[in-house]
Amino acid sequence: MMTAVLGTNIVSPLGRTSQENYDAVKRGRSALTGLEKGWNGIPEKITASVFGISGDTDSKRGRRFEDIVVESIAAALEGTGVNPSSERTVLIISTTKGDIESLVPDTLSRYSGPAGAVHRIARHFGIVTSPVIVCNACISGGNAQLLAARFIGAGIYDNAIVCGADTVSPFTAAGFLSFKALSPFECRPFDMERRGLNLGEAAATIVFGRVPDRNSGLWVLEDGAQTNDAYHVSAPSPDGNGVCRAIEAAMKGTAPEDLDCISLHGTATLFNDQMESRAIQDSGLSDIPAMALKGYYGHTLGASGVLETIITMKALENGTVLPTRGFEEPGVSGRVSVSAVERPSGGKGRFLKILSGFGGCNCALRYGRAENALPLATDCGHIEVLGDIRMESPYDFDGTYKTSLENNPKYYKMDMLAKLSYVASELLLKRFPSIRPTSVILFNGSSSIVQDRKHVDMVMGNGGFFPSPSVFLYTLPNLAVGELAIRNGIKGETALYILQKKDPGLMDDIIRVSLPKGTVALTGWVDCRAEDDFEVDLKLITIN
Amino acid sequence: MNDDLILELKNQIIDALNLEELTPEDIDADAPLFGAGLGLDSIDALELIVILDKNYGIKLASPAEGKAIFKSVAAIAEYVAKNRSR
Repeated sequence: MMTAVLGTNIVSPLGRTSQENYDAVKRGRSALTGLEKGWNGIPEKITASVFGISGDTDSKRGRRFEDIVVESIAAALEGTGVNPSSERTVLIISTTKGDIESLVPDTLSRYSGPAGAVHRIARHFGIVTSPVIVCNACISGGNAQLLAARFIGAGIYDNAIVCGADTVSPFTAAGFLSFKALSPFECRPFDMERRGLNLGEAAATIVFGRVPDRNSGLWVLEDGAQTNDAYHVSAPSPDGNGVCRAIEAAMKGTAPEDLDCISLHGTATLFNDQMESRAIQDSGLSDIPAMALKGYYGHTLGASGVLETIITMKALENGTVLPTRGFEEPGVSGRVSVSAVERPSGGKGRFLKILSGFGGCNCALRYGRAENALPLATDCGHIEVLGDIRMESPYDFDGTYKTSLENNPKYYKMDMLAKLSYVASELLLKRFPSIRPTSVILFNGSSSIVQDRKHVDMVMGNGGFFPSPSVFLYTLPNLAVGELAIRNGIKGETALYILQKKDPGLMDDIIRVSLPKGTVALTGWVDCRAEDDFEVDLKLITIN
Repeated sequence: MNDDLILELKNQIIDALNLEELTPEDIDADAPLFGAGLGLDSIDALELIVILDKNYGIKLASPAEGKAIFKSVAAIAEYVAKNRSR
């Protein structure tokens, strides 16, 4: 049994279907536009891909995130025969911030995280199973596809609707500006002159199903892997070893020459592209035609992994490897085969998609056509709990840190979610000095809402527009996971999922399909609803 | 002459960089901020850029530009005294 792509859609400024989008990209069109200083209250000139210069789509309800997600999912389902209201269908949403337009001083509440918007989206489609939100920074779109294939491979669901989406807002722009990571001009992946990334907005959907038929001509998600650098929360390990290890695992059983192309992450920041080029070279993939698509769409964050996977499929179906728009002269030290011009594809029907993100996470996916696909092996084990720890508000975690834990200069830089995860994991791991976890999977319901409020105050509050890079960083809830990875040298799979509620059955399913037998992992629920309302239920587990 | 400014900067640095366990007296105005000194990293450098912008109206385009300025608290004070617009 194979996990195949039954339907796709992209809603972006370049079009409302996958085909419209591909045709636009093929013609060399880019959605990137220069936005004047002051656009949406952003006090600097930026270049971004947005639906309308005014900042709104034809959204009737003022909920652009939900509108584009609903439009994209409805279009992707068309003609697939998949019933969204079946109890064998799961909805997986990939996003960094969800309905980010509600994260403004007037409307921000403890319910403004992605869970609320996804609840309404699920209701719209009559979804009866519990939706899963993948909030794993910029690898979310790859992570969501991998989770879908694992669910289906393990027989937990027959169909999965994976939609990645994010919209451009002053919230995110402020954060990336404070990181000096935004290029004022159109981004130039892998180029000597690259100056940073551009933000973009889009929703992209892939509907997955079980397909026994090799003659279906469909794309099959053959394999994939996730790793962590355990290096730094906002900078990738310069040697690219995390990406290398993800590629190595995703390529198991195949050789470089089996690939038609590599769909790169290619954000056009100095650090990412340099690291990625090293990883490609060290993986022996320097001669495989590669492309980076952010010159057409900008960085669409939670959507990017899904969107770029779909465009790559369309390109290979069309027998072509697309030009990397913005690239002229190589500006990275590793050898990677990107090109300013279109090249014919090899016709083998197989590609690799790679992604990297804040929090040190990396992801690699391998897709092949059904006729020669190698089905994903999913042999789930059972969870054995080695130990657990619970902490609930009111609990003085700073006090515990001061009195009981080793001094760590990074502790006070963390947000509440990361501090709670840190203190709980330190106390738990102290009880098992000889056990070293290699993976972290955390869950919560409220995303990073406490930290979101802090960032909103610094960007839209009365004090003016002064975003702090470290405050912004922790508005990605998977930073809590990244901190545990750095602290404990955890280089295996790391992820953060947002659920509608603490659902032990669903959490166990995700853990079991994600982690191979023999893995030792930190897993559990870490939720901060408010500064004085939190819950930690962390476990040290092994998979048998 | 920069003593007040140096103290002011130390307090702002402790606050913005969450150096919870330090007092201004713990920071040697002439000691390096990065590497050995306080062990600050690349995100801290970006926070220092925010301090200069927010409190003194000084805009730096990139951390590279800040390299010489952020050598020590005394070096920052000297730069601020010369270039501040508020």
